[in-house]
Amino acid sequence: MQIITRQVKDKPLTVTIEYPEYNDSVSGLIRKINSMDIGFCANVDGRRIKIGLSETYYIENVERKLFIYTAEDVCRLDLSMSEAEALTADTGLVRISRTCIMNTDHLKEIRQVKNSHLEAVLDNGEMLIVSRKYLKDIKRVFQKG
Amino acid sequence: MIMRKILKDTCILAALMILAVFLISIIWSGVTDEIGLVLKLFGLAFILSVLNCLFDEYIYLSIVMNYVVKYFAITGIVMLFGFIVGWFYPNNFWMAFIYVGVVIILAYFIDSFRVKKDIEYINEQIAGRVITSANFAPEQTEA
Repeated sequence: MQIITRQVKDKPLTVTIEYPEYNDSVSGLIRKINSMDIGFCANVDGRRIKIGLSETYYIENVERKLFIYTAEDVCRLDLSMSEAEALTADTGLVRISRTCIMNTDHLKEIRQVKNSHLEAVLDNGEMLIVSRKYLKDIKRVFQKG
Repeated sequence: MIMRKILKDTCILAALMILAVFLISIIWSGVTDEIGLVLKLFGLAFILSVLNCLFDEYIYLSIVMNYVVKYFAITGIVMLFGFIVGWFYPNNFWMAFIYVGVVIILAYFIDSFRVKKDIEYINEQIAGRVITSANFAPEQTEA
């Protein structure tokens, strides 16, 4: 794949994709670029901030309240789990348990702890419990490219 | 992968064929013993699928404990269902432990193998992603 970037003044950021034939790699690339425009409005210390999808590490439901985790911050989201899941459909974010949605872009490794539960290790060193039921969904994200 | 899809589709198609053929037979000649047995099996399969779905959603245990708990839960339901529909009697109810045991052991090995393969696949993809991003070097021009 050849990547060419060029500065064009007074025009919005534009991405042009040229491909010899439309395949899974191309659709995966389009999906990733589209997902860059998605963001969450979160509350932190009474302020409202926008958190981009790429900054999101995971979203967790704690006692029916939704929290979004970035590399440094934890913010409250005014969404339900199903709303967050719908918003992140067809992106790199995937449900990994009943209470957690993880960004696979920050996934470093999946491991099984001695024939026991499954763990997802993120690139910031955090570990999340993965339900076996959702392992297929994680695999599907990587199959899409 | 293709073989698995074919086997899965075969099972679904066979189930649909059985239901379609039996539906016509029920209209024609009512519920016979054979049709009743198959419908009861479908009913039991539905109850077990609901239980399995709830179990996977709400209970986090190790893979071995998961199957041990499932074994006793499923055996209990099969026995209860068997007593209600007349499959089991007080002198042969223990057979449920054998029937469920065989299915659970097979499911355990298939599940363990599948989980291992899925983890390997995901980790391979992550490793490939790291190599690709390390080789990233865009050309830059100005218009």
